[in-house]
Amino acid sequence: MTQRERPIEIITPPNMLKAKVGGPLPAANEAMMARAEAAVGDLRQNFKAWLEEEVGKLEAAMRTARAQGLEGETGEALFTCAHDLRGLGSTYEFPIITRIAASLSKLIETPQQRAAAPVALVDAHVGAIRAAILQNIRDDTDPIGKALAEELETRVTKLVGERG
Amino acid sequence: MIANGATPAGLGKLRIAVVDDNAAMRGIVRSVLGAFGVIHVHEASDAETALHMLRGEKIDILICDWKMKPMDGLTLVRTLRDPEESPCPLLPIIMLTAYAEPSKVKEARDAGVTEFLVKPFAADGLYRRLQMIVNRPRPFVRTKAFFGPDRRRLASGYQGPERRDDAAPLS
Repeated sequence: MTQRERPIEIITPPNMLKAKVGGPLPAANEAMMARAEAAVGDLRQNFKAWLEEEVGKLEAAMRTARAQGLEGETGEALFTCAHDLRGLGSTYEFPIITRIAASLSKLIETPQQRAAAPVALVDAHVGAIRAAILQNIRDDTDPIGKALAEELETRVTKLVGERG
Repeated sequence: MIANGATPAGLGKLRIAVVDDNAAMRGIVRSVLGAFGVIHVHEASDAETALHMLRGEKIDILICDWKMKPMDGLTLVRTLRDPEESPCPLLPIIMLTAYAEPSKVKEARDAGVTEFLVKPFAADGLYRRLQMIVNRPRPFVRTKAFFGPDRRRLASGYQGPERRDDAAPLS
């Protein structure tokens, strides 16, 4: 703690949750995790449509960005779509989309970055995501998918650097 | 370990709220929680609705997305950690977000989140966060500039007397 944060008050509330659940939660077991995986698997039939919806939003935002540029709400909307796909791609069984969307998010996260981002490179990410779906390239065990993701990431890192 | 793959019965007593603007993600989180034995899952699609819910319902744990509009998850956390404004300033909060950068983890921690989980998430990752919240809750810290869970994670795994329940006898 730094000097300016003093005085410090430490509050230790009673552990009401442990009392409510009747003691400490035990370690997980394989059966419970398998049930969780199966529960998500039950939703699998929707994944294709849900992914298509998210990628459709990204492509629509890209069309607007091509016409209006990446400034303001247009760029923010595109970043939001990329960020959402970063979180959803692997869940929808396309880890390569999470990877490419992460690269795109890194490229256009802030208004300053969007002002400097080449629209062609942004567009290349969006195209790569669509290509992954069309060619059913799900992860980077596919050499073409891997090469494409690495190339996009290299170009983004050259522009915005490593970011932590 | 839980015997015979059973779910921890006590989890069925908890009320967990999930705030995410993506309905599919809320459904996925709900499904995973259901597999853990959580029965009472409340959903909100935006932060304002979540705040309204938290003012009216007793929620035990909040799972919250970051990137939402018009109010984002970080603002929701800061509002909930404001002792003057919040209906539940001590509420355990898991930030579930696609942000994965250390700078984002620090930003969330400084806003007052209890645990941080990156999307796409694995079921065991979510269960471990629930375990941490129930078994090893952090004390809260109040300074002039911060109110929230202690941002230093104690290295000690000591969990109190119950840890000795299954300890091997010394002799």
